[in-house]
Amino acid sequence: MMLKRLLPPLVVVVLLGALFAFGLLRGAPDRDIESALLGRPAPAFELPLYERYQPDFGTVLTSADLQGKALVVNFWASWCLPCYQEAPVLQAYWQEYQDADVVFVGIQTQDRDRLNEGRAFLSQFGLSFPNGIDNDSSISVDWGLYGVPETFFVDRDGRVIHKHAGPVTAELMDAKLRELLN
Amino acid sequence: MRRFVPLLLLLLAGLALAQQVQLEARVFEIARQLRCPSCVSESVADSNSPISQQMRVLIQEQLEQGRSEEEIFAYFQGRYGDWIMLDPPKRGIHLVAWLLPVIVAVLALATVALLVRRWLANSRKPIEATPEELERVRRQLGAAGAQPDPAPGTDGDI
Amino acid sequence: MMELQLGPLGSAGVFLAFGLALYGAVAGMLGAQRRDARLQTSARLAAVAGFIVSTAAVAVMQAALLTDDFSVSYVATTSRIASPTWVKVVTLWAALEGSILLWAWLLSGYTALLAVTAPLSPLRPWAVSIMQVVQVFFFGVVAFLANPFEVLPVPPLDGPGPNELLQNHWMMAVHPVLMYLGFVGLTVPFAYAMAALITRRPGTEWMTQTRRWTLTGWGFLSAAIIAGGWWSYEVLGWGGYWAWDPVENVSLMPWLTATALIHSVQVQERRRMLKPWNLVLVITTFSLSILGTFLTRSGVVSSVHAFGSGPVGPAFLVFFLFVTLVSFGLLALRWDDVRDRADLDSVVSREGSFLGVNILFVALTFAVLLGTLFPLVVEAVSGDKVTIGAPFFDQVTLPLWMLVLALMGIGPLLPWRRAEQQRLTHNLAWLTGAFVVAGGLAWLLGVRKVYPALTVGLAGYNLMSLGLLLAGALVPRLRLAKRSAFAVLRSYAHESRRRFGSMIVHFGVVVIAVGVAFSAGYRVDQQIRIDFGESAEFDGYTLTAVDRFVERTPQRISSGAVIEVSRDGRPVRTMTPRLNVFGDSRAVPTPAVMYRPSHDLYLNLNSTVGPTTTFVVLRVVKSPLVTWIWIGGFILVIGTAYALGGSTRTVPARATVRAEERAQA
Repeated sequence: MMLKRLLPPLVVVVLLGALFAFGLLRGAPDRDIESALLGRPAPAFELPLYERYQPDFGTVLTSADLQGKALVVNFWASWCLPCYQEAPVLQAYWQEYQDADVVFVGIQTQDRDRLNEGRAFLSQFGLSFPNGIDNDSSISVDWGLYGVPETFFVDRDGRVIHKHAGPVTAELMDAKLRELLN
Repeated sequence: MRRFVPLLLLLLAGLALAQQVQLEARVFEIARQLRCPSCVSESVADSNSPISQQMRVLIQEQLEQGRSEEEIFAYFQGRYGDWIMLDPPKRGIHLVAWLLPVIVAVLALATVALLVRRWLANSRKPIEATPEELERVRRQLGAAGAQPDPAPGTDGDI
Repeated sequence: MMELQLGPLGSAGVFLAFGLALYGAVAGMLGAQRRDARLQTSARLAAVAGFIVSTAAVAVMQAALLTDDFSVSYVATTSRIASPTWVKVVTLWAALEGSILLWAWLLSGYTALLAVTAPLSPLRPWAVSIMQVVQVFFFGVVAFLANPFEVLPVPPLDGPGPNELLQNHWMMAVHPVLMYLGFVGLTVPFAYAMAALITRRPGTEWMTQTRRWTLTGWGFLSAAIIAGGWWSYEVLGWGGYWAWDPVENVSLMPWLTATALIHSVQVQERRRMLKPWNLVLVITTFSLSILGTFLTRSGVVSSVHAFGSGPVGPAFLVFFLFVTLVSFGLLALRWDDVRDRADLDSVVSREGSFLGVNILFVALTFAVLLGTLFPLVVEAVSGDKVTIGAPFFDQVTLPLWMLVLALMGIGPLLPWRRAEQQRLTHNLAWLTGAFVVAGGLAWLLGVRKVYPALTVGLAGYNLMSLGLLLAGALVPRLRLAKRSAFAVLRSYAHESRRRFGSMIVHFGVVVIAVGVAFSAGYRVDQQIRIDFGESAEFDGYTLTAVDRFVERTPQRISSGAVIEVSRDGRPVRTMTPRLNVFGDSRAVPTPAVMYRPSHDLYLNLNSTVGPTTTFVVLRVVKSPLVTWIWIGGFILVIGTAYALGGSTRTVPARATVRAEERAQA
């Protein structure tokens, strides 16, 4: 009898408890939102490059220049800690795959006018794949960017096959590069 | 082919674009419906993050091209999905959020209506009281100095 | 030589307060259970001692802040030498640990006050004990999870200072204190309601004992919400005051249920109805205030204002679940005692209108709760991320707010029991007339948006209702006593403080409603670029960018533009929107606001300004009638204070007269 009476409040409390426990455990609320671009053509872009890449890639890197190649597009910012974590990983895979049919592109974003900070970031990790700055966030909007770091994988047909939020890992790079180049 | 524009110049051009543009009132009305992607729970109209500023410029440009509000929303939904809309679209899972208040309101009204019916019926039943109880009520009323009811509508202190 | 260390001293105070609260809770409950007067007195003394000790702890924290004692962890993480004195004082509640200390301290203050002033009743020992149980939680959090008095072995030379948004405006000194005073005030009726359930005395006693506490808590919460909106308007630079951010929503929800409560208890006082419902409301109000704290301190829902996470969030979750389970569980167990044989003569009556108030405010609470938690629920169920934003809340709640306004006008005109047909028709005719005239006038003057026009109509309707109420009360008195109308009004206002206070409050609500309807419906936003020396037009105004400036004080660096505002060629005002940089923090815009009764002009810098910049980009906002919200808020608080000022009269034995009549029939 008593138990039967206590049942309604108990059920409510258990449900609320489960909901909020889920909320506490899931981490930051707005990460890892599925990209609306998945399976669709990657947006075109024109990226002004940092000086160190201009001899090899020109002042502006455009998506048209990269047609037919798979892309790994990484968005970063100089103030973002996870970006410092993933930068060596990206550089390592770039060195391994630079002769394959894939190009890595680094885009500094949400970092307006912080060119010196950007240069310091690039030389700290000696990043040799082309990097530029999206100073007015227009590329970021086109790619539906939420935060940094985010990394997009684009296949040779120019379609976005995966978006990863947060620092990339070796496992992820292995898996996705294999998928891109097959 | 590749244009040889110094990086800095191009950057300044980009900067100019984001900062110097005048934005009309309608831009903010539209931006108020969109969620700033890099912020927590702010609208594109309210946030001053670089990405929101750029989105406002994009809205202004599209308005100048004569695009409608729906087309502009579609542009951002195409890039960010429904998540970008602060005004949840009335379909899919969002429908639950839109319908639930209505359903709950109807249920609440029905419950209250049922209760009210029972209470109305209660009030029509005569109160059963023994002579002793009636006597006690009279005594108490006498002690309290029974007050007349004030005029309806001017009900005194509550 | 012994040096006085503030850290350990403060910690000692907090631990002692925790111990006293624990002792008081246990002793008080044992005392109440065994009807042991000595134990009960001991618990009340513990409540007073707890207040003294926690006051000492707060004083120690203030001393540490004012003397820049960076060996105290809270001072090291939130204060800065260069801050002015008032900022150092309010830094106490500028971050998580300090704000919980403040809350705990206010709670202990209320408990002590209750222990000393509450009249002796079977409920009091339990109520004081329950306040102490709540204290055990708060002081426990301060002592064990978020101790602001931890001693840093290597104190820094200076700290980062409080959050830059908080030291940018004096309003920050007021808003949180009001909020906590509100939450703590509403803890008292909760404690009494629990006491009533425990002692199986679920009559009206718990309500009459706590009537003033409830109204005080409600008044503080109202003031806090208005002050929060004003702060947001003055500081955040977006020209608005309410964004339906989760932090705002969680402060609104307990206010909504408390508003339902202060109306609904009158039905129980008068008609002995809704007993269980009022208990539900008082429990829900308290639960929601704890839930709100959990939601904003844990980062579970995304909010602009979220405090950092840590063990405090989960602790509040556990406490919320505990409170909800125990209080609703107790209510379920006592259901047979609580149920009442309600009877209703007619729906068209005062009690009928209060039923409507209950439905509306509960529906509003549900809509706000749903909008706040829906994204979390969807994510938990399906993993999808969805957004619910301001437009959703507006669309769902606006019709309900309109109904609230409609009910607010007719409700007080209805008599208890049953409305007389003739009188009702008469009143309704006046009200409808006022609605049509005011709304029609607004329509003719160009108010073509639905909600603003409706609001004007309902404002006219409500003013008419207040007029009818006053006339109904004053005219008979005028006929009886041959005194001036003013003298009669004064004596009426004095005799019926609660009634007259409620009229003032309702008037304040009307003023706020009009302010909200117009500032939201007819707000104009623009972004304007002006070269220095040039002018730009904005909605009838000419803005001239005259100059730029950079100011340095030890506390901050401030840069901005001097904008001359003129209208029809005549200068109106010189405004200086600026950006402030405190220490190493990011720049915070400080908008310049020109307050006007008809509309505010609001300028916020959207570009950085230096000695060499040639132009300025301004976010310019024109908000009609936004000042009315602050004025209405002020009126509302005055009305609440007025209603609280009088003596509490007992309900006359009118109901029994009727009972007798009916029994004889």
